[in-house]
Amino acid sequence: MASTRLYVTEAGETIHGILAEYATPAALYHAAEKVRDAGYASWDTHSPFPIHGMEDAMGFPRTKLPVLVAVVGLSSAGLGFLMQWWMSLDYPLPVQGKPYDSWQAFVPITFELGILLSAFTALIGMLAMNGLPRHHHPLFRKTRFLASSDDRFFICIEARDAKFDPDRTRALLEESGATSIELVEE
Amino acid sequence: MTTAPVHRPQLAADNITLAKGAGRGVGMALIVVGLLAALAVLGMGLSGAAGVTKKHALAVYHTGAMGVLAMALGGLFFTMVFHLTNAGWSATIRRQCENLASFLPFAWLLVLPALVIEIANHGLLFAWLNPAYYHDHALQVKSAFFYLPNHIVDHDTHKVATEPVLPVFFLARALVYGVVWTLLSRRLCALSRAQDASPSVELAAKARFTSSWGMLLFALTTAFASFDWLMSVDFKFFSTMWPVWYFSGAAFSAMALLVLVFARLKAVGKLEGVVTSEHFHDKGKILFSFTVFWAYISFSQYFLIWYGNIPEETAYYYFRTFEGSPWRTLGITLMIGHFIAPFLIVLFRPVKKSPLALGLVALWCLGMHFADIYFVLRPMVDAGTGLPPHIMGHLWVDLAAIVGLFAVLVGFLIVKIPGLSLVAHNDPWIDESLEHRNYV
Repeated sequence: MASTRLYVTEAGETIHGILAEYATPAALYHAAEKVRDAGYASWDTHSPFPIHGMEDAMGFPRTKLPVLVAVVGLSSAGLGFLMQWWMSLDYPLPVQGKPYDSWQAFVPITFELGILLSAFTALIGMLAMNGLPRHHHPLFRKTRFLASSDDRFFICIEARDAKFDPDRTRALLEESGATSIELVEE
Repeated sequence: MTTAPVHRPQLAADNITLAKGAGRGVGMALIVVGLLAALAVLGMGLSGAAGVTKKHALAVYHTGAMGVLAMALGGLFFTMVFHLTNAGWSATIRRQCENLASFLPFAWLLVLPALVIEIANHGLLFAWLNPAYYHDHALQVKSAFFYLPNHIVDHDTHKVATEPVLPVFFLARALVYGVVWTLLSRRLCALSRAQDASPSVELAAKARFTSSWGMLLFALTTAFASFDWLMSVDFKFFSTMWPVWYFSGAAFSAMALLVLVFARLKAVGKLEGVVTSEHFHDKGKILFSFTVFWAYISFSQYFLIWYGNIPEETAYYYFRTFEGSPWRTLGITLMIGHFIAPFLIVLFRPVKKSPLALGLVALWCLGMHFADIYFVLRPMVDAGTGLPPHIMGHLWVDLAAIVGLFAVLVGFLIVKIPGLSLVAHNDPWIDESLEHRNYV
C-alpha cells in the first residue's frame, strides 16, 4: 500500500509521517478508533504502558504467528522422532535388550525438539513480523516523543500510507483531540 | 475495613441466583439412584449374585469413589489457588469451585465402604491386608507404613503373624484426611458465604491465609491418600510420581466438571455478562494445561520405570501393556483420549471460548478421568489369581458403580448450587472479574 508520492519538507527532507500527541490513554484510544475508521493502514500508537483493548481500537487482525509456530513445532517434533528412529536402526545400540525402535526412548528428544523449535519460531517470527530489531526510527529524533515512555500518548500516521494526505491527515488528527501535532522527517 | 457494596447491572439478583430449591427433586433423585446403584454393585459383589466377584465389585466401586474424590479435591485446589494468587479473573467462578469442594466430606464417606470391606475381608484388592502375604519381604519392610503401632512380624521372636493385623496407621491417616478436607472445605465455604452478607476485605484476607496453610495440608493429604488408596493395590509397586499423577487428574477433572456447571448455568440464562466467553477461554486454558500436565506426569512415570527395568516396578506396567493384554488397548485409548485428542481440540481458541464446544470436550474428559483410574484398579482384579488378565462380562456392573457415584456428585451439585448466590458477588476482585478480557 506504499504511496508512490513522496512528501518533503520545505528544507527538502523526506517526511516520515505526522505525529500527534494526546494527554490521556482514553483520548489515545478514541483517536485510534477514528484513525482506524478513516481506513489508514500504516500507522501506530505509542504509550508508556499497554492499553487494554488497543488492538481492537486499532483494528488489528489476528496474528498469523500461532499457525506458524504450530506448523514448525509439530513438524520439528516429527522430524526429531524420525531422526532418532533412523539413527537407532542405522547405528543400533543394544540397551537392556530393548528393541532398537523403542518409541519410549525417543519421546524426550521429540518433545524437546518440538518445544525448542516452537520457541525459536515464536521469538524469531514475532521479531520478523514486527520488523525488529532496527537500530533507528525517525520518531526518536523528536524530543517531544521521548515522553511516550513517561506520561504522553502518541499516534503516528506514516507518509507511505496510501490514504496519507498532508492536509487531510493533519485535519483528522486535529479533530481527534490531539494536544500537539508535528511533522516527522525521515 | 469494608468496601462499599458493588452496584453492577450484571449482578442483578435474577442473573446470579437460581430459585431456591430449583431442581431439588432431580438432584435428590440422582443422589438416591446413584447411591443405590453403587451400593447394589457392592452388595452383589459381597453376595456373589449374578457371578459378580467381590474384587470386581470393589474395584469398580473404588474407581468411582476415587474419581469423584479427585474432582472434589480439585475443587478445593482451585478455590485455594485463586485465593493464594489473589486472582482477579476467577472471582466470578470461585463460588462453584467452593460448591465442588464442599462435596469433600461426602467423597471421603464414599471411599470408606471400600476400605471397610477390604479390612473385613482381609485384603481383596489390597493384598497387603492378607496374612498370606505377610511373609513377603517387600511387605515386611513397608509394613510400618500400614500397621504401626502393630507389627506383622514379631520384634523378638521374628515370627510372622498368621492372623490379620489391624492397619492402625493406615486407618489413622484416613481419619486425618477426612478431618483436614472437611475442615478446609467448610472453612473456605463459610468465609465465602459470610462475605455474601457483609462485603468485607478481611474475610478475603482470612480465606487467603487459610489457603496458605491449607495448600500445604492439601498437598500432603492428597499425596498420601493416593498412596494409601490407589498405589497400595500393588504393594510391591512404588512410584514417587504417583501423587502428582493423581493430583493432575484431580485438577483436570475438576476443571472439566466446572466447565459443565457453567455451561449449564449459561444455558439456563444465568450469569449473563458475569461469566463470559473470556472466562470460558481461561477455563479452557486450564483444562488444556492439565491434559498436558497429566500426559507429562503419566509418561514420566512410565518412562523411568521402563528404562529402569526394576522388577517390582515394571510388573505394574507389564500387566497392563504386554501384547495381548486387554488393558493395553485401554492404555492406548488413554494416550489418545486423555491427551492427544483434547490437546488438539482445545488448542483452538474458538473451542475454548464456546461453552457448548468446551462443555462437550469436558464431558469427554470426565469419562477419560474415570477410565484413567479404572486403568489402575480394574486390572488388579486378576492380579494374583493366576488367571490371565481379562475383561469379565458384566460391563454394566462397572458402569453402574462408576456412573452411579458420579451421579451422586452431580445430584449433590444440583441441590447445592441454588442454595447460594451463583457468584461471590462481594469478592474484592469482582469488578476486575466482570471486566475480565484476554488481551492477546
